[in-house]
Amino acid sequence: MIALARFRLAGYARSHRALQPLIALLPLLAILYATPVPAGEELGAMADSAGILLPVFAWAARGLLDTEPDEQRMISIVADRRGELLSGIIAACVFDLGLTVIGELALLARLSADPGIGAVMVGVCLHLFSVIAGVALGALTSRPILPSPAASNLVLILGYLAILLVSASGARWLTVPVMSWMKDGHHDVLMGHLPLLAVQSLLWPLLGLAGYTWLRRTRP
Amino acid sequence: MRVINLSFRYGRRTPWVLSDAGFVLSPGDVTEVVGPNGTGKSTLLRLLAGLLRPVKGTIDERPDVVGYAPERFPAAQPFTVAAYLRHMAAIRGTDPRRIDEWSGRLGMDQLMGHRLPDLSKGSAHKVGLAQALLCEPGLLILDEPFAGLDAATRAELPQIIGEVSARGGIVVVSDHQGELRALPDLRRHEVRDGTIRELPRNAGPAAGMRVTAQNGTAPDITPQGITQQDDSTRDDSTRDGTAHGIMVQGVAVLEDGSPAVTVLEVAVVTSKAEELANRLRAEGHVVQIAREAAE
Repeated sequence: MIALARFRLAGYARSHRALQPLIALLPLLAILYATPVPAGEELGAMADSAGILLPVFAWAARGLLDTEPDEQRMISIVADRRGELLSGIIAACVFDLGLTVIGELALLARLSADPGIGAVMVGVCLHLFSVIAGVALGALTSRPILPSPAASNLVLILGYLAILLVSASGARWLTVPVMSWMKDGHHDVLMGHLPLLAVQSLLWPLLGLAGYTWLRRTRP
Repeated sequence: MRVINLSFRYGRRTPWVLSDAGFVLSPGDVTEVVGPNGTGKSTLLRLLAGLLRPVKGTIDERPDVVGYAPERFPAAQPFTVAAYLRHMAAIRGTDPRRIDEWSGRLGMDQLMGHRLPDLSKGSAHKVGLAQALLCEPGLLILDEPFAGLDAATRAELPQIIGEVSARGGIVVVSDHQGELRALPDLRRHEVRDGTIRELPRNAGPAAGMRVTAQNGTAPDITPQGITQQDDSTRDDSTRDGTAHGIMVQGVAVLEDGSPAVTVLEVAVVTSKAEELANRLRAEGHVVQIAREAAE
């Protein structure tokens, strides 16, 4: 499984496809941190970063899973029947964590005051939630599930918008609470609400990945 | 490996590709899957490999290690041949030194440093075969393995398949060219109209029979089981210019007098020769196009 994850990461990194999410990420970071983050806004900035980078993580995850040609995916399934699916998820998570490091470093470099280790850890947690949600969204829009590139792009974008809209509404428990991360971060209540937000933030992506696993049974 | 009441279709509103099919493959079996284009041969191979799940029925006792070479090797990958095969060996948990063994046998030593997208169709196909063979498969599935291969590899592949069979592996091959007909005990399964039926086993010379022609001329049986005779023995009555005329040129018989191989000579317009040959091959006959143009 690890060897297959490494093979997929190598294939993605060597192809031009790995540059696409980077090309999206770098201008986004340049815009976000064009001005320094004011003192006292550290948690809000971290929550904003985690929420805004979610579609980039989803795009990267989908790109990684789709880089492998269909016939190669079949060879991979035959070679590692049990690990094929998980190896793709692991490879996507590893690549997204690399993007997270870039995003976090850019954020830390633009802070006006020392945020403290607690705030940094909360920021790391939120980015991890964002990575898992992004990987789930990317997997659910990958080629075995949605063979049409147009439909895949549309579902990815609309999926992210739906997450934002639902999490801003009264029914925010129905999705990954991205807007709650941001709201609570800017109102200094994020630390207290984090346990409940963590449950919601992990529950839906895990359900999404379970759905992906179920759909892949008949979609090699 | 047992295939029991196998039915498959790609969607609820699509027609059944296979319906209520069943057969058993024993260790050491080599079977050739034949049938016209689009009847479900590749689908059957994917079902046997475990890539597709039967809609109805089961496939039991599939060997743990499966080697699969698709009809078209996916060459659009950013690796050299050597790097790709090293990755495949690592995924399989195979000793990477085996790569050298297979690259030598498949005549691809000079390709190891080449990038996959730069390979010709035949060379890419060899890489597909190599990755399937690296792992000493208990079940080897080859989809049109002879397509695009050079003569040396075409000659080597039946021997490799024989070796997999000799150590107890099951080999399932989809092959339009009939390159395996010389293998002893070759089984053949025909996929047609959603059903799978086993054709009579190849009764070629590889089974150890000696044949003689009815007209007394000893035919020269090639390794592919094709009977060749000198032009002087041909009946000129077939050369009257009638297209699609079919004539029995000679009946080969066993020494006890029972018919074994019947050699037909078919005159067909050139444009339809390939189509007819493919159709006859799909039905399990050995076909050789003797003349490219009508005289």
